[in-house]
Amino acid sequence: MGLSRAMILFIVTSGLSFVLGVLRVPNVAHGSLYMIGAFSAFSISKLFGGGPIGFWLALILSPFIVALVSLVSERLLFCHLYQREHLMLLLFTFALMLILGDLVKLTWGAEYRSIMAPDFFRGSVSIFGLSLPRYNLFLLILGPLVAIGLWLFTNKTKIGKIARAAAVDMEMVGAVGINVSWVFAFAFVLGCFLAGLGGALVAPTVSITLGMDHDIIIEAFLIVTIGGLGNMWGAMVGSLIFGLTQSFGVLFWPQFAIVFPYTAVVIVLLWRPRGMLKSVW
Amino acid sequence: MLRIEKIHKSFGNFVAVNGASLTVGKGELVAVIGPNGAGKTTLFNLITGQLKPDRGKVLFNDEDMTKLPTYHICRKGIARSFQIANIFHRLTVFRNVQVSVLSEQGKSNKLFSPAHNIAVEETNRILESVGLLENAENIAGSLSYGDQRILEIAIALGNEPELLILDEPTAGMSPEETAATMALIKTLAETRGLTILFCEHDMDVVFNTAQSIMVMHYGRTIVQAKPEEVKANSQVQEAYLGGENA
Amino acid sequence: MTMKNRFKSFVPYGVILVVLLFLPPVIPRFYTYILTSIFVTALLAMSLNVVVGHGGLFQFHHAAFYGVGAYTFALILTKTSLPIWVGFVAGPVAAAMAGLLVGWFCVRLTRLYFGMLQISLGSLIWAIAFRWYSLTGGDDGIHGVPVPDFVSSSTSAYYFILILLTICLVVMYLILRSPFGMTLQAIRDNPERCEAVGINVRRHQLLGIVIATFFAGVAGVLFVVLERSVFPDLLFWVLSLEIFIMCLLGGWFTFAGPILGAAITVSLRTFVGIYTEYWTLILGVMLILLIFFLPEGVMGFITEKFGARPERVYQER
Repeated sequence: MGLSRAMILFIVTSGLSFVLGVLRVPNVAHGSLYMIGAFSAFSISKLFGGGPIGFWLALILSPFIVALVSLVSERLLFCHLYQREHLMLLLFTFALMLILGDLVKLTWGAEYRSIMAPDFFRGSVSIFGLSLPRYNLFLLILGPLVAIGLWLFTNKTKIGKIARAAAVDMEMVGAVGINVSWVFAFAFVLGCFLAGLGGALVAPTVSITLGMDHDIIIEAFLIVTIGGLGNMWGAMVGSLIFGLTQSFGVLFWPQFAIVFPYTAVVIVLLWRPRGMLKSVW
Repeated sequence: MLRIEKIHKSFGNFVAVNGASLTVGKGELVAVIGPNGAGKTTLFNLITGQLKPDRGKVLFNDEDMTKLPTYHICRKGIARSFQIANIFHRLTVFRNVQVSVLSEQGKSNKLFSPAHNIAVEETNRILESVGLLENAENIAGSLSYGDQRILEIAIALGNEPELLILDEPTAGMSPEETAATMALIKTLAETRGLTILFCEHDMDVVFNTAQSIMVMHYGRTIVQAKPEEVKANSQVQEAYLGGENA
Repeated sequence: MTMKNRFKSFVPYGVILVVLLFLPPVIPRFYTYILTSIFVTALLAMSLNVVVGHGGLFQFHHAAFYGVGAYTFALILTKTSLPIWVGFVAGPVAAAMAGLLVGWFCVRLTRLYFGMLQISLGSLIWAIAFRWYSLTGGDDGIHGVPVPDFVSSSTSAYYFILILLTICLVVMYLILRSPFGMTLQAIRDNPERCEAVGINVRRHQLLGIVIATFFAGVAGVLFVVLERSVFPDLLFWVLSLEIFIMCLLGGWFTFAGPILGAAITVSLRTFVGIYTEYWTLILGVMLILLIFFLPEGVMGFITEKFGARPERVYQER
C-alpha cells in the first residue's frame, strides 16, 4: 500500500531533512546508511534464528549500528570539512556513499538477502472493509509516531531547540557558548539513525540488495525538495505524495509505475520550485 | 529626463519607500540624501529594475520603465554603480570594463571570434578616462578599495549611458580619494554629457557638487530643490537631528 | 598575449595529439579501446564544464542529455531505416533540444533549485527509458547497434572518435574565448552585475546550456559508436555525479582540466578493476583525499605549482 511505503519514505527522508536543515548539507550517503540498516537487520535477525526475537532486536539495534558508523565517519573525517564550501561537503558525502557501498559489498557479498517479519505480522487485518497487511498497519502507526517524536524532540527538548537554532543561525549558537561541532555531530548521527531505522523497517518487505542506496537516495532527495528543504512536515507531505502516486501508478499502469511519482515531483517543482512548505533556506 | 512618481515599495510589513518622487533633468547632477534607512538604495534599485515597485512609476525620457527587467533598463541608457564594490573580482581590470562594452555593442553573444580583439579601443579609452589604464592587466580583486570603486564607475561607463546612477560613490574613501573621485565624476559628466544621479552621506561632497538635492526620510521625499534652499528647509534640519555628519 | 606565447601554449596539446595519432598500431587492442573510452568520457566531461566550471550553473543531471543523444542515435539506427548520417546529426540535436527544454525551466531558478529541478526532470527521462521496453529495451537497453563499416573496427573507431573529439575541443575553445564565453564567465562570477550592464543573463545561460548539451549529445553518439549499445545507466544520476567529479578532479577553472579528470578516472577504473572489484571504494577514497588536499583539482594544482597558465582561457597575459 502506498501509505505504508510513504511512511518508510518519511522516516528515511525526515532524517535527511533534519541533517539538511541543521548542517545545510545534503547527505548523499544517507541512502547507504539506509542500506546498512537493512543489511544489519538481516544479520541480526539471522543471528537469532530468524524468529520474532531476532526481528525485534534487529529493529532496535540496527539503527544504533548505523548511528555508530555515521558517528565514526563524522568525527574522523566530516567534521574537518565544516568550514569548506557546501559543494565540498556534498562531494564528501558522495565519496562516503561510494565507500560505504563497497564496504557493504565486502561485508555481506552481492547476493540478495531477505528476512521475514515475525508471525505476528503475517496476515491481514480488516479495516473499513479493506484488507490491510498487518505489517503495513504497523508502519502506518509507526510513521506518525516517529513524526510526533521528532517534533517533540526538536521543539521541546533542549538539544532539539539548539539544533533548530543552529539551523537558522550557526554563528549565534557558537557565540552563545555551545559547542557547534558537537551539535553538528549530533544532528548528523540522528539523521543517520533514522535512515538506519528506515532500512531496518523496510527489510521484511523488499529484497535486500546492493542497489538500495542508489534507489532510495534519489527518491529521498526529490521528496525533501518538494516538501521544502529542512522541513519535517514537508518530508511527510512529500513522502505521501511520492508513495501515493506510486501505488496509484501500480494500480493503473504497472509498467510505468515509477514514472508517476517522478512526474508528480516535476509538477510540484514547476509549480513551487522551493518546495511546498517553508524551507529552512 | 528621469521622473519618478509617487513610488511605493514594501517588504512584508516594512515600508521601505513610501510615495517618493524625484525629477532629474538632462545634464544635471542630482543628489539624494537622507539618514540611514531612508530608502535611498531601495529607490535606486527600483529605478534600475532590481526591484519592482508596488505602486508608482519610473519614467525615463517619457518612457515607462517600471515593469522592465534590469538588463533592458540598462540598454535604454541607464547605468549604475553599486554601494559595495560589485566588480568581477577574478577577471582583469580590462576584462571588467570589456564585458560591459561588449554588452553595449551587442556583441556579448558572438561565438567564434576571439574576445581579446574586440572592443579594445573603447575599453582602453574608458580606462584612460578614469585613470586605470596602467592597471589594465591586473586582477580586479587585487586593486585597492578606492580603485575598485573607480572600476565600478568605469564598468558603468562601458554602457555609454545617458544617466549614470552612483550609489555612495565615495563610501569608505579617504578625504583625498573622495575629492579625486568627485572631481573625476564631474569631469566625466562634462566630457561625456552625462546626467548623474547619486546618493551620499558625505554632506560636503553633496553640497559642493550637486545642482539639485532630493531629501528622503522614512521612504518619503521631503523636498527636492537647489542646495541653498535645501539647507534652509526646516523639515530637512529636523530630519537630520541626531543623525548625519553634516 | 603575443602570438608566440599563444602558439607555445598549444605545443603540448599538439605533441599529445601527434602521439595519439601514432599509437594504435603499436599498442594492444585493449589499450586502444581504453583510450577511445577516455576520449568519449573526456568529451562528456568537457561539455559539462562549459556550464559548470565556466558558467557556474548547478548542472546536476548532465548525463540525461548524454543518454538522450546516445539513445536517439541508437534508436535511429536500429528502429528506422534512415541513413546513418541522420543519426549522427539527430543525436546531438535531440540532446540540445532536451537541454533547451530542461534549461528553460531551470534557468528561472537559482543555483540549488536549478539543480534539483534538473535532477527531477532527468530522473523522469531515466524512468521512462527504464520502463519503456518496447521502445528502449527497458533496463536491458539496446545492444548490437549496427554501426557503419568505417567505424566498426577498434582502430577506425579510435581515429574517428579522436578526430571528432579534437574538432569539438577546438570549437569549445573558440567559444570559450569569444565574447560569449567571456560573458558567461562574468555571469558565473557576478550575475547581478551582468544584469546591470545590460546582459540578459537567463538567455545567455540558456544558450550555454544548449551548447553544453549539444556536445554531451555528441559524446553520447560516440559512445554508441564505440560500444554498440545503450542502456539506462547512461541516463542515471550516478553518472552525472561522476562526471562532476571528473571536472573537479581535473580542475574546473581550467580549460583542459576535465580531460585529465576523465583520463584519470577511466584509467583507474579499468586498471584497478583488474585487481579488485572494489573500484568504487578506491574512487571514494581518492575523492576524499582530493577534497582534503587538492580542492582545485589536479590541473589546478599543477598550474599553481608551475606557474604556467596556458589553459586559463579568460586570463590573458
